[in-house]
Amino acid sequence: MVDYVSQDHAPAAHPESFDAGKVIIEHVSNSGLDHPLIHFPLVFGIDLSVTKHVMMLWIVALVILVVTIVSVRRYLRQDRLVPTGFMNALEAVVLFVRDSMVEPNVGRKWTSVWTPLVLTFFLFILCANAIGLIPIFEVAGLLDRFVLHTDHESFLNRALHGGATATANFNVTAGLAIITFFAVILAGTKANGFIQHWKNLVPSGLAWPIYILLIPIELMGMLVRPFALTMRLAANMTGGHIAILAILSFVFLFAEMAGQSFVGIGVGLAFSVPIAVAITALEMIVVLVQAYVFALLSAVFIGMAIHAHH
Amino acid sequence: MNPLVQPDPGLFIWTIVTFLTLLALLTKFAWKPLLAALQERQDRIRASLDDAKRATEEMERLRRESAEIIRQAHVEAAAIVTSIRADGERLREEMKGKARAEAAAIVAAAERQIQAEALRARHEVRREAVELSVAIASKLLRRNISVEDNRVMIDEMIGSLGRH
Repeated sequence: MVDYVSQDHAPAAHPESFDAGKVIIEHVSNSGLDHPLIHFPLVFGIDLSVTKHVMMLWIVALVILVVTIVSVRRYLRQDRLVPTGFMNALEAVVLFVRDSMVEPNVGRKWTSVWTPLVLTFFLFILCANAIGLIPIFEVAGLLDRFVLHTDHESFLNRALHGGATATANFNVTAGLAIITFFAVILAGTKANGFIQHWKNLVPSGLAWPIYILLIPIELMGMLVRPFALTMRLAANMTGGHIAILAILSFVFLFAEMAGQSFVGIGVGLAFSVPIAVAITALEMIVVLVQAYVFALLSAVFIGMAIHAHH
Repeated sequence: MNPLVQPDPGLFIWTIVTFLTLLALLTKFAWKPLLAALQERQDRIRASLDDAKRATEEMERLRRESAEIIRQAHVEAAAIVTSIRADGERLREEMKGKARAEAAAIVAAAERQIQAEALRARHEVRREAVELSVAIASKLLRRNISVEDNRVMIDEMIGSLGRH
């Protein structure tokens, strides 16, 4: 792991040996724990230091928090509830999540209980996905290299390491999926009682040998669902970025092969940039769809725990 | 290990902490009040629409009622006019009949009176004739009159009768 992150990774720094695989992985994975942005001591053997992805999560959470609370407060302060500006969009999202994702799955009775969770999932994942499409750190890196010339160990320089899409990291998506996992148990327990919730896991009234088979399967299914959520989101977010980076790598590979930088620029203009633009457009859809899928599946699983039809 | 599959419990925990904090803050300060306001607005719109519908129905009902009232008034007015016209006709006929009867009664009374008067006059004449006859007779008896005289006297008498 040290090999991937401790070296200077910028392609321009190693014009003689461009390793596309290493660069791509470096650009989509988290910054290393050995170079954290903020160092924290170990807690029970767990390194809680703030890495790039933790920082991205905080940025996303802060942006959502400020924007949402400010617009909602401003909206609710009026004597007549007329949504304006950003509130229009937020209201549309809130109503969509409530009426099209939560209510059909969990039922009218539990809608108000589970809408906040699904809504937060949707907005948080959407923003965390989307922020990875905005080349903030690439622009900051250019500024640093050609204008600011900050120290190699400066906060800005360390913040440039690693990908900006926190949801491309399966540790993050696992964290989110585990919340869904417990939300499902909580929903079932609240709706049916603790014991009945676990009884609902398998259909009642079957011959006992079937239970020997069924209980492990259902328990496995319970664990597979959050695992699928984890992998689906992380893999989708990683895949698009890898595709874009791989195609952009052609610029450097061709320049290196020909020994002429204009060959690389030519390949970039003729091939890499148009394809990368197209994939980025596709990514914008994927970003939305994956946030929707994660939130919707969470609502579906919660609804299944509430209405266990066995 | 490839950093793409590097387990990172710290990041895992930070994700949970960050998300739950965000969830708690958003729920308290944004979602709960917003969802309540949206629900309230939805209820109010539904209530307003119901009210409007009810008002329209009420208006329609009133319109129908008033039309019915007007129609009934027309019918009643027509009936009143008809009955008044019939009454008038009847009254006129009655008055006409009464007047005719009265006139007939007056004529009959007049006739009766005339007959009575005539009868009385005839009686009077007859009585006077008798009285005259008696007077003449008495005069004749007191004076020794001749047959000639008697005849003259009767003639005079009849002559005077004729003058009466």
